[in-house]
Parts: sequence; structure tokens; C-alpha cells
Amino acid sequence: MDEFEEELRQAFERVPAPPSLKRNLMAERARRRNGKILHFPLQWQRLAASVALAAVLTGGATWGGLAWRQREERRKGEAARDQVMLALRLTSHALDHMNRQLAEHGREQQ
Amino acid sequence: MKNPMMVLLLGAAMLAVPAFARAGQLPLPPEAEKELAARASNVTEVTLGKNMLAFAAKFMDRKDKDQANVRELIQGLEGIYVRSYEFDKEGQYSKEEIDQLRKQFETPEWSPLVRERQRKTGETTDVLVKLVNGEPHGMFVLSVEPKELTIVLILGPIHMDDLGKLKGIGGLSALGDVEKSVKASEKVKKGGDE
Repeated sequence: MDEFEEELRQAFERVPAPPSLKRNLMAERARRRNGKILHFPLQWQRLAASVALAAVLTGGATWGGLAWRQREERRKGEAARDQVMLALRLTSHALDHMNRQLAEHGREQQ
Repeated sequence: MKNPMMVLLLGAAMLAVPAFARAGQLPLPPEAEKELAARASNVTEVTLGKNMLAFAAKFMDRKDKDQANVRELIQGLEGIYVRSYEFDKEGQYSKEEIDQLRKQFETPEWSPLVRERQRKTGETTDVLVKLVNGEPHGMFVLSVEPKELTIVLILGPIHMDDLGKLKGIGGLSALGDVEKSVKASEKVKKGGDE
């Protein structure tokens, strides 16, 4: 038997598994299963956090939109109110001018 | 005639005399307004329709006595239209233009309340009231000064008691004085009818 055949024989020689292999495999399997169970609530937590964040953002945007709309309406309302006051002041100014004219006219007649 | 184009425009507006009363708008065609605005150095335009007045009324503070009085006055009004033109120099509008404007209110429903003419200065003021069943339903004021022109049209039921309350408000005192004049005019008109 030459050297090559000796190496081949050794390579194909059946080596029994070490006694701890089965135990190690079972332990690894159990560890992985437990890990999955542990990850399961974490995923739910992430989902819940995303939903909560989306709700907060949507709520914030809605509230912001409503607040802006209210502010805009108030601004327009106050502008309209100022326009009314301006119109009445101009009317009063014109009537005041008329009163002055009438008073002057009265003085001239006297 | 200072500006034939302007007179032509006002003349065209006159053909549609009752149109403003139906539409409830200032009896100045937009072209005429533009013409006057172009010549004026300072222009103030206020156009408040019924809806806008109702909207503005919502923002009058009820706790503020003055604003509450104004609120009472404008509620139910159909519109307030004001045009005020200030000019740098005299002669920026013609007598014909003013007469054309005045003629639009020479209708039976409009009663002259005050018609004041100053020959020396050329200043004139016209105050007309629209009376419906003895109640004022409109007021037109045309104040003409050499360098200033003010046109006011208030449409809708005007509560004289509310107008009187404005006397105490700064800048609106002259409005309060109208109450007495209108009441006197109503009496004259009722007396005439009887």
C-alpha cells in the first residue's frame, strides 16, 4: 500500500461523533426556539410604536391644519371688521363735512 | 367737459339706472371707477356685500359696547359700498361726471335728506335716503370737495336707533347725527302722504 492509499483510507475512515454533539445540538435548537419567542413581542412593540407615531403625526397634522384654518378665518374676519369700521368712518367723515358746510351756511345767513 | 370718455362711461351707466338697485352695488361702472382711481393720488375702496357683513359681524366683540353697536347696525344690511378718492390737484373730475352720478338717485324711492351747495368753494354734499314704508332701507352720500370725492352707498334696513348709538364712538359721531335728520324726514314724508 503506497502512501496515497494510506491517506485515502484515513480520509474515509468512520470517526464516531463525540458524545457531546447531540447535547450541543439540542441545546442550540432550544436556544434558537426561545430566541424566536423572545423576538415575537419585540416585533409587535415596533409595530405598535409605528402605529402610535403615525397616529401622533396624523393627529398633529390635523390639529395644525385646523389651527391654521381657524387662524386664517379669524384673520379674514378681523380684516372684514376693520373694513366695516373704515367704511363707517369714511361715511362719518363725509357727513361731518356736510355738517360743517351746513354750519357755515347757517353762519352766512345770519 | 374735462373728460368726455368719463362722461360717456357714466352716461352708459345711467342707461342701466335701476340695475344697481337690483344688483345692490355701487352705481359706478368699473371703467369709471378705474378712471377716477387712475387720476386720484389716494384711493380707498370698501365693498362689503351681505355675506361679508354677516361674517364681519361675527368678529365684533359683543363685550365691547362700541363694536356691539356697530354689530347691531350692520346686521341685516345688504351692503356697504364706499369709494373715496383724494386728488393732488383740483379739477380732476368734472361737474358733468358728478351730475351723472347724482341723476342715478333721482328716482321716487330715494328722498333727498340734505342737499348742500357751497358756491364759493364748489363743495357739495348730497345725502339721500331710500324709504320703504316709511322705514329707511338705504342711504347714499355723495361728498364732493375740490380735491376729494367720497361716495357711500348703504343698502338694507337701517335702524335709526342703532345709528344714534354710534354718536359716542370716535370717528363715527356724524353718523349718529343722521338719526335725527332721517327721523325728521320720515315725519315730513308721512305728513305729505297724509
